[in-house]
Amino acid sequence: MDTPSRQACTGLVVLLVLTLSAQSRAFELPESVQIHGFLSQGYISTSGSNNFFGESSDGGSWDYREIGINGSWRPTPKLQFSMQVVGRDAGKTDNDGVRIDYGFADYSFISDADRLWGARVGRITNPLGFYNETRDMPFTRPSILLPQGIYFDINRNLALSADGVQIYGEERTSIGDFYFQAGAVQPRTDDPAFQDSFTGGILPGKLDGRLSWVGRALYERDGGRIRLAVSGGVFRGKYDPKQGQIDLEDGRFRFAPLVFSAQYNAEKWSLTSEFARRTGEFRDFGPFLSDDKATGQSFYIQGTYRFAPKWEAVLRYDELRWDKDDRNGKGWEAATGFPAHTRYAKDWTVGLRWDITPRIMLRAEYHRVKGTGWLAALENPGMRPTPILPSTLEDDIDEDWNLFALLASFRF
Amino acid sequence: MVPRLPLAEELVVANPSAPVDALSPTALRAIFSMRLRSWPDGSPVRVFVLPDDAPGHVQFAKQLLSIFPHQLRRAWDRGVYSGTGQAPNLVKSDAAMRAAVANTNGAIGYLPREMVDASVRVIEVE
Repeated sequence: MDTPSRQACTGLVVLLVLTLSAQSRAFELPESVQIHGFLSQGYISTSGSNNFFGESSDGGSWDYREIGINGSWRPTPKLQFSMQVVGRDAGKTDNDGVRIDYGFADYSFISDADRLWGARVGRITNPLGFYNETRDMPFTRPSILLPQGIYFDINRNLALSADGVQIYGEERTSIGDFYFQAGAVQPRTDDPAFQDSFTGGILPGKLDGRLSWVGRALYERDGGRIRLAVSGGVFRGKYDPKQGQIDLEDGRFRFAPLVFSAQYNAEKWSLTSEFARRTGEFRDFGPFLSDDKATGQSFYIQGTYRFAPKWEAVLRYDELRWDKDDRNGKGWEAATGFPAHTRYAKDWTVGLRWDITPRIMLRAEYHRVKGTGWLAALENPGMRPTPILPSTLEDDIDEDWNLFALLASFRF
Repeated sequence: MVPRLPLAEELVVANPSAPVDALSPTALRAIFSMRLRSWPDGSPVRVFVLPDDAPGHVQFAKQLLSIFPHQLRRAWDRGVYSGTGQAPNLVKSDAAMRAAVANTNGAIGYLPREMVDASVRVIEVE
């Protein structure tokens, strides 16, 4: 961890301790104020020289931690202010230290036993799939790492939340509950690995977010025994070329995910599956970068089994394809020199969760992966094409690899 | 499995100031999933619950809300950690539940039938 990020995280820990001690003393907050948070430390070990969240192939990496604190204030039942500050470290893909994950005002126009309608203004989490909105909070995830085919961590900030307005609605009917959310937002483009995946680590300049759209329709039957959702968005950005040796124009990018989600919850087990289709498009970058458009596809199917009180096991198959018309990446390799296996990933995961107390959780999981589609080139120079960055033997990256992870988490 | 004594029937109880005598199953579930935040007169609802694994909580969730405790937990966490909701107030025992509901304006909770007394109002679910 670099120094500013370490200082920021230390600051957050101090804030957290102060909050806890304030809560334990009879320091009176208004009863409409709530403060919650979490603290999490992970360990990741990978085979070969494939790195995920730090130098994980070299004796394992402890460079994966998440610290969050959130506050909400509800001065009246119709109005709520909420904010969450998170410090996150995930190898080179995230060392920006502390950032505001969300911060918004929420006003409900209509609220009765059958419906709830309202609007939010500020930085709001993106309603994509089942897990995106609370992806930082380890207790809400089905596993240590979310299924990377859909919830890849290399562009976490972009995916997590965006600045703008959102309209939401909820209709509770005799056949189930219907939830709607739609937002007009400016995306966050501050992920190091996302900037890097675009600029290839060699281009100057950066990407900025432009007016974008995101929304979800969700149906829940019997309080969530059956959950079905369609979510999607159109995220747009613009390249701001700085002075550099390569002459690029101020091109645009457009990223449009569409996610179908389904879940069945029984008392002891849950079955979840999501399918995503994403279109990515780059255009108007001038003569040195040709326009490019590709549609990727991902899906996973996941079973969780609560086999004893406090214990849960998970089994999942997760598949990612960056280009549905070039599933094995061979065309991409021929055209660009990037290894074919960087264009897909097939991941079998088994994991175990132990809730020692309602506040303390331990997790372990093992991934067997074919393909490197969700690794970050920022941490794996071997993913880059040889002519641009000559790879050395130690940069070599394996197509078949595995990952073992441990996680300890605390919440309040 | 550990053999368990038959559980007492859980009743929905509210502070005597609560402006209703009855709630629909839909309204009850919306309140305990922390999505319905006010009583019909607009005053705030304050929700009290026992720990997730308390037999009374499990019984209440399954019988009166027709959902599993893990679903409730997930709904609360989704609200709290995405900023779109708040968590219910946690009490450790039936006695603490009765005291909290009796002494908090707008409070709602649940109690085994034999714990109910005049300090709280029983809410019919219909």
